[in-house]
Amino acid sequence: MKVIFPSLEFFRALQTLMQSERERFKRLGYFDTTFGVRVLDGPRAHQYVLRFEVFECTEVRAVNDLGREAVDFILEGELAAWVEMLRNIRQHGAADVTHSINTLTHLGERMRVVYDDPDGHDKLYRFAESVQEFIDLAAKLEIEFPQRSDTAHAGA
Amino acid sequence: MSYLSTIDFFEDKDFIDKYQYTLRTGELDLSWMNAATEKVQCEPQNARRGLTFRDCDVGSYGFTDMPELIRQNRSFAPRGAEIPAGVPDLQAEVNRKSEVWAYNIEGYYEEAMSRQWNATTDVPWEELRKYELPEAIGKAYSQLLTFLTEVEMIATDVPAKWMGRLNADFFEVKNFIATQAMDEARHAEVFRKRALTTGWGLMRASKANECNLKFLRDADSFAEASLTLHLQAEGMVLTLFRFSELISPTEVDKKMFRLVMQDEARHVGYGMQHLKWVLDHFPERREIIHRHLDEAENFVFGGGYATEVLEPFIILSGKGMKKENIEQGLKITAQFNLKQIDEYFERLDKCGLPERRERSKLALAMEMTRAVIAAQ
Amino acid sequence: MAYFAEKNFFEDLELIELTQRVFAGDLTLNWYNSPTEKVACTPRDAVRGLTYEDCNVGTYGYGGLPEFVRNNYSMAARGSEIVPGLPDLGYTINRKSDVWSENVAALYEEAKTRRWTPAVDIDWSALKAAPLPADLEAAVSQLCTSLEEISLVMMELPSRWVSAINQEFLELKSYLCAQMIDEARHVEIFRKRALAGGTGLKRASASAEQALKEILFAETYPEASLACNVMLASLILGVFQQSAAISAVDAKIFRLCMQDTARELAYGVGHIRYHLQHQPQRAEYLHDYLDRTEHTFLGIAASPELLEPLIVLAGKGTSKAALADGSQRVRKFLQHTVDAYLERLSAIGLDRRTRSRLPKFVATNAP
Repeated sequence: MKVIFPSLEFFRALQTLMQSERERFKRLGYFDTTFGVRVLDGPRAHQYVLRFEVFECTEVRAVNDLGREAVDFILEGELAAWVEMLRNIRQHGAADVTHSINTLTHLGERMRVVYDDPDGHDKLYRFAESVQEFIDLAAKLEIEFPQRSDTAHAGA
Repeated sequence: MSYLSTIDFFEDKDFIDKYQYTLRTGELDLSWMNAATEKVQCEPQNARRGLTFRDCDVGSYGFTDMPELIRQNRSFAPRGAEIPAGVPDLQAEVNRKSEVWAYNIEGYYEEAMSRQWNATTDVPWEELRKYELPEAIGKAYSQLLTFLTEVEMIATDVPAKWMGRLNADFFEVKNFIATQAMDEARHAEVFRKRALTTGWGLMRASKANECNLKFLRDADSFAEASLTLHLQAEGMVLTLFRFSELISPTEVDKKMFRLVMQDEARHVGYGMQHLKWVLDHFPERREIIHRHLDEAENFVFGGGYATEVLEPFIILSGKGMKKENIEQGLKITAQFNLKQIDEYFERLDKCGLPERRERSKLALAMEMTRAVIAAQ
Repeated sequence: MAYFAEKNFFEDLELIELTQRVFAGDLTLNWYNSPTEKVACTPRDAVRGLTYEDCNVGTYGYGGLPEFVRNNYSMAARGSEIVPGLPDLGYTINRKSDVWSENVAALYEEAKTRRWTPAVDIDWSALKAAPLPADLEAAVSQLCTSLEEISLVMMELPSRWVSAINQEFLELKSYLCAQMIDEARHVEIFRKRALAGGTGLKRASASAEQALKEILFAETYPEASLACNVMLASLILGVFQQSAAISAVDAKIFRLCMQDTARELAYGVGHIRYHLQHQPQRAEYLHDYLDRTEHTFLGIAASPELLEPLIVLAGKGTSKAALADGSQRVRKFLQHTVDAYLERLSAIGLDRRTRSRLPKFVATNAP
């Protein structure tokens, strides 16, 4: 299945894959959070809302401004960082230790966690394994990345 | 009442200087690299079971070689770690292994960790829609559930009360206590939830049983607390769960009782293995144990006042309130009572206290019950 | 200390007669028409199951719990018929806002579903298949030795209080049980990690233990919860975040531990928020407590037995260059962690950004 990143189709594909691995995600437990993904692409930002409830991803939306959405936290990074992470996931079947969401966002160097409420921020950690395994589903996708100088070698 | 560290870390110049120097220069002490501890590499003996505490029972880290009296460690230092000067005293009151230990404690803990079921999702609550219980059965069942939800968390409170009083070297016991606390919260939860689904809600509290809970709570030692809680009380409750599974009004309830039974049997197992250990290693406790059981059994007999437990059982096992139902219910309940006491003595016998049967006044209860059965 | 029954029941003729009557079929049925509320709770979401929130109805619910519980000192289930003569089980914590958090029932449900098992949920064979270099493995062992110490305290803290808390606060007590088992799991995982890596345990920490004892022996439950579930948990969450990049096995270990600790934080934050909403006069009291107690954060974080392995692991080695790099990374991590801690306090009504002494010790431009 070929999808472009970043795109709504990409996140919908992850949602579909999560559905097919329902038992695995159920085993991880309740997954109750709504978070945003912001991919910074020069002057533009590709922004998405992902809602998770009980054991499923119940909603995936593209939005113009995550600042106006009720999300617990936003995972934000430059396109090149996202591309590098996804290439790493594809290469290894799952993110390696330098490309996990936690490592990339830990000190805000490659990616950042943006939030209004520390309670919302802490949901990234309460559901850490589920978030990571959701993103790791990208290993099963054939992803087309934008052809640009900053992404061409990112994670290659 | 609170403890104050012997160092104020914001004010201690040596501490602050060393910390700031370390971060500024990257020059580390690294003396911990040469800690005087044993080098080991523990591996799972059974890959499917994973890495267990039994796999980690090696050398100075293990529980097998743990001495009877813990003289060296009164701190939080993990067993087998190097203990530096200046560690605080935890004020542990229990430092004798045979006060707390049980054969297979590590096995019970691992089993508990892997068998944590969930009252919210593992009971098929949706299937209850298929059933409509007659009033007598519904009420009797709700009353039984009220008793069960009432008493379960004594087995959270009592062991939890002791956890912090045990020497840190007994962490397998502390960890087991944590699993039991969670097991009992789950039991209180499932029985409460089930009562609230019946249409009748909760019913009457039980004075006789509450007084028994207070006795369980106020034991003088961990060994006595465990004896009456795990072995006597939970042993009798285990028999109750097994009978409750038998007389369950729906398939959903049968499943529920099978799930709670698993946990209860584990607690009873610990209680039995603990008593065995105590009698093997601390035989001078035998008479104290008997005295404690004397009073525990007094409360058991006093449970006869708890008609709010006995009568629902009669109605449920006889499946109704007509004369013939009550007669049938009395037969089953009498058998259950006998079995409960018999299994209690059997457990004590297996643990090395066979003389309890002769000594116990519960023989009176058994006599009365046999008379009931004979009259039927 | 032992409690004795009000009588010798074996000689109680009234009891023997009662039992004989019942067993002759003459039931009392004194419970049959209990005047309690009739309810039939069902799951609002069949997939989620029957939660405590679904059972939060009428006299049974936690929503209607009074601030001061005066009517029940026994374990009689909330909403059941209270009969005369129930004993006093000795609860000393009977005020809701001393313990409650609005999210406690939800956190209990979450904790149950998100449990994991160290023995089998970690790929232990991968440690042997891809061992770390000796100095890094030694650092992991030292880190795990310290984390085992800390987890033991975080397990014992709720155990010290749970039996003193009124049983009416059932969902809260149940959550504390979940916290105990979460920390038992941490005691287990860190010990096993140290023993499986080829090094064994390392050194306990006198300074960290002194600090931990001060937290553990807090005088009141709100203080204990603030110190452990907000302050200490903020530090430990930071340590877990920092440590999740060591190896693939450790990444999973620390991510799973992160989940448990973040839940404790969610309770701690919710608890203190609720406490201050209902007892606003306690804010200065808690500020004063933190003025005296925040030094323990530094006492733990700056203990060589925790600080140094974090530096070695952050710099990925013990060469001069690696340690210099590692120490800068750890300095940054400590500042980040303190910032997050102060942010949490601010969100719950305890703004300490100018009052706390911690920032000056972790500032990246500190001496």
